[in-house]
Amino acid sequence: MDKRNDKLGWIFSSPYLIFGLVFFLGPLVWSLYLSFTDWDLIAPEYDYVGLDNFLKAMATPGVQAAFWVTYKFMIIFVPLVTAMSLAVAVVIQGLPRFKSVYLIGFFLPYLSSGVVASLIVQGFLSYNSPVNEFLRGTFGIQIDWLGSPLSALFIVGLILAWKFTGYYALILTSGLESIDKEVYEAAAIDGVTDRQRFWKITLPLLYPALYTTLILSFGVTFGIFTEVYQLTGGGPNFATNTWQMEIFNQAFTNLQAGYASAIAILASLVTFISIFAIRKVLEMWGKRNGWV
Amino acid sequence: MVGSNKNNKRRLAVRYVLATLLLLVMVYPYLYMVLNSFADWSQVDRQLVPSKYSLQSYEWLLTGGEVGIARPWTNAFLNSVIVSIASTFLMMLFGIMVAYALSKMKFRGRDTVNNFVLFHMFFPAIILLIPNFLIIQKLGLYDTYWAMIIPKAVSLWAIFMYTNFFKAIPDAFIEAAKLDGASDFKILYKIMVPMSKSITAVIFLFLLMERWTELLWDMIVARSDDMLTLNVLLSQMFGPYGSYPGPLYAASVLLTVPIIILFIMFGKKFKEGMQFSLK
Repeated sequence: MDKRNDKLGWIFSSPYLIFGLVFFLGPLVWSLYLSFTDWDLIAPEYDYVGLDNFLKAMATPGVQAAFWVTYKFMIIFVPLVTAMSLAVAVVIQGLPRFKSVYLIGFFLPYLSSGVVASLIVQGFLSYNSPVNEFLRGTFGIQIDWLGSPLSALFIVGLILAWKFTGYYALILTSGLESIDKEVYEAAAIDGVTDRQRFWKITLPLLYPALYTTLILSFGVTFGIFTEVYQLTGGGPNFATNTWQMEIFNQAFTNLQAGYASAIAILASLVTFISIFAIRKVLEMWGKRNGWV
Repeated sequence: MVGSNKNNKRRLAVRYVLATLLLLVMVYPYLYMVLNSFADWSQVDRQLVPSKYSLQSYEWLLTGGEVGIARPWTNAFLNSVIVSIASTFLMMLFGIMVAYALSKMKFRGRDTVNNFVLFHMFFPAIILLIPNFLIIQKLGLYDTYWAMIIPKAVSLWAIFMYTNFFKAIPDAFIEAAKLDGASDFKILYKIMVPMSKSITAVIFLFLLMERWTELLWDMIVARSDDMLTLNVLLSQMFGPYGSYPGPLYAASVLLTVPIIILFIMFGKKFKEGMQFSLK
């Protein structure tokens, strides 16, 4: 631990330290300061308005919607992506041939851009699309896919599930592979049925990997922007208005930087508390079942 | 015994069929995109699998159609390449440097730096969107490549991954090299980097993919037409009444295929690195 070592250590860390000061610590303080002002992103002068922004934000339908929409996406997206990735992992686990070909194939959607995924879905559901032609021709119904709240929520949830399934399946597959084969052999001798085998052996031993994918997928729901921006713009009537969408709109469309900063702080608080609570619940759930 | 063997074979066959069906469902949207990019314009978004094909959409993309300007798309593609490569390179370089300091260098203040990184990781990124935009403006970088590169030059995730990986490399390697008179730069370059090849493939692909498909940040810091990245241009061109769905599919192919090619090129290394990082 000589002086030279100290200096080198700081030199090696300096890219991060400079970055952290300029693009994290500074902005964090600035953001807090802005949230107490009525700045409009352009005018040179602005006033201190105290907690007005926060009170105003909590009373607007856009922010209230953003709060609830995250949890609605959770209810749709998390079970969907968990079931899909679990199905993929279980089906391809231990396949003697082509296993990695399958894994890579399932991973491909993760590489797509949200804009591209939205474009495909929009085309697929357009008025003259094969899906709608079929529905009109066969059942005589016309569905406004992105114009009704429930289906709009569901479609965005489905796009996200499509994107993340392969990634989570990869995590779950490596979890499945780490399970000792002897446990299954012993169970086979005891005459365990397939269903019991899955619920009593596979699932508990897979719980650590499952915990990872659950935490990751809950996290995803707090950062939804591209798909919603592209497909619904937060509508219809705020039904898909996420935090990011609301902040973007207030800051860069309505040019209310101070007010948008307040919303960003609210969003961060809500995200932070929610993720903390979800972690606690998942841990307790695992412990109660004796899985951890 | 023979019966159970037959049973096992049947089970395996069922699983292959299931896996293939699942895979087809998952890859179908990509197929739909590629087929529609080659479809005759009368059939775009009209059939599950188009029956008439032409290169119309790609031609439009390259020549600009009746608008006659080809530049937007080729230019946006180049912008995407420049921005993504510069950003990803810096995120890798700084990630390796900082991770080396945090895992293998003993210096006063290391714990402080470490705690700062953890504290930083803790915050949802959304809180920084507005002030970071203002900083870019104040620095006079608005609407330049730097606006898209510098704020995306450090990745906490890369630092975190490399730190964990380097910690698993025994100190003995470094001490031996130091006895031979190697400097820290040399150790990093000659020992740590070569030893982390597999995880580098994973980190590189994830970072590049995220940078390549970034929308929100690139959208707010770049305004002029010749600064847009491909993803942002595609996003702007696409509305509910977009009159040229064909070329948009062709542009989507342009945006998706490079990443897939890279992914398949690094496929084997990626798998190894993934296995390590998931342990």
